[in-house]
Amino acid sequence: MALYGSTYAGYGFGTLVTVVIAYGILDLIVNGRWFNIAYLIETPSPYFWASMGIGLCIGLSVIGAAWGILLTGVSIVGAAVKTPRIRTKNLISIIFCEVVAIYGLIVAIVFSSKLSNAIPVSGWSREALYAGYAMFWAGLTVGMANLACGVCVGVVGSSCALADAADPQLFVKVLVIEIFGSIIGLFGLIVGLLMTGRVTPFK
Amino acid sequence: MSGPTVYCPVYSPLFGALGCAAAISLSCFGAAYGTAKSGVGIATMGVLRPDLVLKNALPVVMAGIIGIYGLVVAVLLSSGLSRDMTLFASFIQLAAGLGQGLSGLAAGYAIGVVGDAGVRGSAQQPRLYVGMILILIFAEVLGLYGLIVGLILNTRANGASCT
Repeated sequence: MALYGSTYAGYGFGTLVTVVIAYGILDLIVNGRWFNIAYLIETPSPYFWASMGIGLCIGLSVIGAAWGILLTGVSIVGAAVKTPRIRTKNLISIIFCEVVAIYGLIVAIVFSSKLSNAIPVSGWSREALYAGYAMFWAGLTVGMANLACGVCVGVVGSSCALADAADPQLFVKVLVIEIFGSIIGLFGLIVGLLMTGRVTPFK
Repeated sequence: MSGPTVYCPVYSPLFGALGCAAAISLSCFGAAYGTAKSGVGIATMGVLRPDLVLKNALPVVMAGIIGIYGLVVAVLLSSGLSRDMTLFASFIQLAAGLGQGLSGLAAGYAIGVVGDAGVRGSAQQPRLYVGMILILIFAEVLGLYGLIVGLILNTRANGASCT
């Protein structure tokens, strides 16, 4: 498995470097400039950046939540075959994972309210470009934080279910660890909302 | 309807159609994984408990509903596709389709794995059935979140016309 991983990484990284250098040489030959990153960043409409941020925000948050529910649910169901008393109490771990998806939903809805149709007269205004970039990275922040948080809460919730099945007084103690895990998603939500706090809707 | 302008470039429907395709195809991946994985569990469980097979077919139904969420969003997005679209509308459709697709993919995965373990466990322990249903409902609601975001974004994109 480690050999496969290093082979994939080696081939993938080599391909990436080759493609990037080839693009640079092509751009140099055709346009006479070497790696014009600003052109790649400024030319797409800010609606592209904003929409990708929103889509990735909800998508990655739900992937994290689903991964967590998957991990926790399997452990609850497996352990409850012999100790069915644990099933109702351990649903709180599932709810912690669900809350992660709700964070992503809230941020996606808040960002979508900042989108409005605007005609760019003589190019995009600086506010519009700022709005696009901020919403892209804020959406990605929230999405990646919720992805990590969902997996974290899922793993701890799975351990919580198995510990509860073994010894009932362990449940509350492991739940405290799970609460520490779920504030990771809250950090992402706070930073995402701070980033777009000064974004004015497109006009 | 005038021809392509700088506000409605000719490549604009590419992103809208990509969103529509992502909504249905990624949701179908999730629904297929959910159906297949929980189906294997049901078939394995049904060898020893054939009376429980139809009752435990619930995860398969829920995975199918994930596909229906993707279908709803894709049909709504496709009604907004046209030859002259603003980039605003097409990028929002991309966001809606991508959000719904990734959500449906993740929800289908969760339903599949939890359904597989759940039906095997509930065949051995009948008190587990209600617990399995509750966990599956939480996984299903994740697909619903994608649907909600897709619908909200789609209504945002309506009414943008090329002037």
